[in-house]
Amino acid sequence: MRDLIDIWVGAQTWIFEALVSPLLFRFGLMAWYEPGFNAVEYVMLGAIQILVIAVGMRFFERRWPLEKPGRDDRLIGVDRVYTLLNKLGVVPLAIFIVTYPVVTHIELLIRAWGYAPPSLERLLPWLGDNALASFLVYFALYDFAAYWLHRAQHAFPWWWALHSLHHSQRRMTVWTDDRNHVVDDLLITLALVLFAQVVGVQPGDYVVILMVGRLVESWSHANVDVSFGRLGSRLLVGPRFHRLHHALSTPQERHIQDHNFAPVFPIWDILFGTAIYDERNRPTGVDDPTVDADNDRGWLAQQATVFWRFARAMIPKFRRATAL
Amino acid sequence: MKKLAIATIALVFATTGIAQADSVLVLNSDEASYSVISRSSRTEIARHPVGREPHHLIVTPDGKEVLIGSTVTNELLGLDIKTGERRRVVKDIIDPYHLGFSPDGKWFVTAAYRLDHVDIFHADGFRLAGRIFIDGLPSHLAFDKDSKTVFVTLQQSGRLAAFDLKTQALKWSVPIGTAPAGVVMLPDDKRLLVALTGEDGIVVVDPKNGAIQGNLQTGKGAHNFWPKGDGRHYFLSNRVEGTVSLLDTDQMKVVSNVRIPGGPDCMDITLDGKELWVTQRFLRRVAVVDIEQMKVVASIPVGKSPHGVFMLRPGSTAGQGPIRAVSTSGETR
Repeated sequence: MRDLIDIWVGAQTWIFEALVSPLLFRFGLMAWYEPGFNAVEYVMLGAIQILVIAVGMRFFERRWPLEKPGRDDRLIGVDRVYTLLNKLGVVPLAIFIVTYPVVTHIELLIRAWGYAPPSLERLLPWLGDNALASFLVYFALYDFAAYWLHRAQHAFPWWWALHSLHHSQRRMTVWTDDRNHVVDDLLITLALVLFAQVVGVQPGDYVVILMVGRLVESWSHANVDVSFGRLGSRLLVGPRFHRLHHALSTPQERHIQDHNFAPVFPIWDILFGTAIYDERNRPTGVDDPTVDADNDRGWLAQQATVFWRFARAMIPKFRRATAL
Repeated sequence: MKKLAIATIALVFATTGIAQADSVLVLNSDEASYSVISRSSRTEIARHPVGREPHHLIVTPDGKEVLIGSTVTNELLGLDIKTGERRRVVKDIIDPYHLGFSPDGKWFVTAAYRLDHVDIFHADGFRLAGRIFIDGLPSHLAFDKDSKTVFVTLQQSGRLAAFDLKTQALKWSVPIGTAPAGVVMLPDDKRLLVALTGEDGIVVVDPKNGAIQGNLQTGKGAHNFWPKGDGRHYFLSNRVEGTVSLLDTDQMKVVSNVRIPGGPDCMDITLDGKELWVTQRFLRRVAVVDIEQMKVVASIPVGKSPHGVFMLRPGSTAGQGPIRAVSTSGETR
């Protein structure tokens, strides 16, 4: 294990010292020295995720596809663009630049009041000596927050205007997880970073939670006919469970997408009565033609039209203009 | 068999929180932990939880404890200086990034790097005497010999500020260079050395008024000092260059350099004065340097982003006279 860590941090250090550190030094940005080093790790983890998706998960999609190859395969291309932009840090960097002042301001405000994040290790001392248990507890808390944020994405019309882009994909695959509007990504990131700070998730744990969580979520969008089994599918969100959340609503199942919200642990859906386990295969997408039209657009056009959709949902004046 | 023995030792100490006599503590700043390393076997024998994001540590004036600053949980963890046994937690010390006691032991000062303030406490009972809000990322601190003034580097604004300990009033604040970090008062009490992490060396500053008296090129990312113990030579880590320089402060020149990859940061010297231990932030290791040869003889795996490092002092004669009190600013007395 230590050998792997040495290889990993060796590569990270080499990339940082060769590419990033000289720039930070040259432009007087040494206050960003440690964050810059961590950003290199983020991009490296993104590259690993892309590799796992492109090689590992795609193997299962090719070998055991749920939906057979067809005309809609062309719709997958734009999702690959989303995945690359997200995993290689382009979108996260833009989000970081926008959210950093907000997050910092809120953090400083809270801490100026003397608030210190509660330490779970103090409540449960045994956690302090068990790194895996501690990680899983923080992971579960993080996932709990993500579950409720996901419900909010469906509950508020203005947020659904953004999130519907994610659901508009009719050809759901391992690449679909990152198909989100940047403002949607920004809001979720902002909320989860603040939550992580309030709860006291360690920076090191946070990176691993992101890495593992996003891999599970990529897998849960996979076009595969593979199940974790009766018990496994209640412990971890899998493709069948999450595909139901993306199911096209019908007159018989008008609110089918208001189920199976959990990103990683299905326990939240089970506890809050939003879980549905069944074996039926349903087509995915949305029954709103204006949203479905996202499928005919590229990345930039999707970002522009969905932002307009969001603006109309947010501002009544725009809504009226559209109605006329 | 060796692995089994180490595992057994680790298990014993993990359950008791007590370190071996020759133990070295390393703060894993990106984890909520500190590593305990056996100096003789050069292996990590235990890893213990500590608050959140620990960066620096300091010996108490009575020489009985070492205090670890847990920045995010706003507290200090006190460990027995001889055994590493947990003694106490001091609460309500806000964002104790860098910390130090004045030479007379009456004042305790913290630099809240994240929250942009300097806190001055009465060391007795850690009663807050004054909080000074100051923009620019207060980074490291040092004291004058008569315990009247604390000097604080401001990494973002590139300044060095001096505060009166008794009144907490600003004495002066001057631009000093790009990203100043480590600061140390030389034994003559007439020269401050300030490491410029955004440049490639240090400046010599007059503690009376902040006037720059000279400079010395050492290496890119000059960051932190540690005294060799003879009152004349100091070690300096150059983070970007990946070296540690040995400085002669009488002649104000670099005597020698040793290459230490991975963003070398804080340092401490073994009690026999033979080894310098240097944290390698990026590589998750701590390097051991043979001081006589100025050569790395070992690099020991620890946790993520190791920062402060400290030798436990089993032979400490706490309460029986002065001992060398140390902080990661390199302050000595």
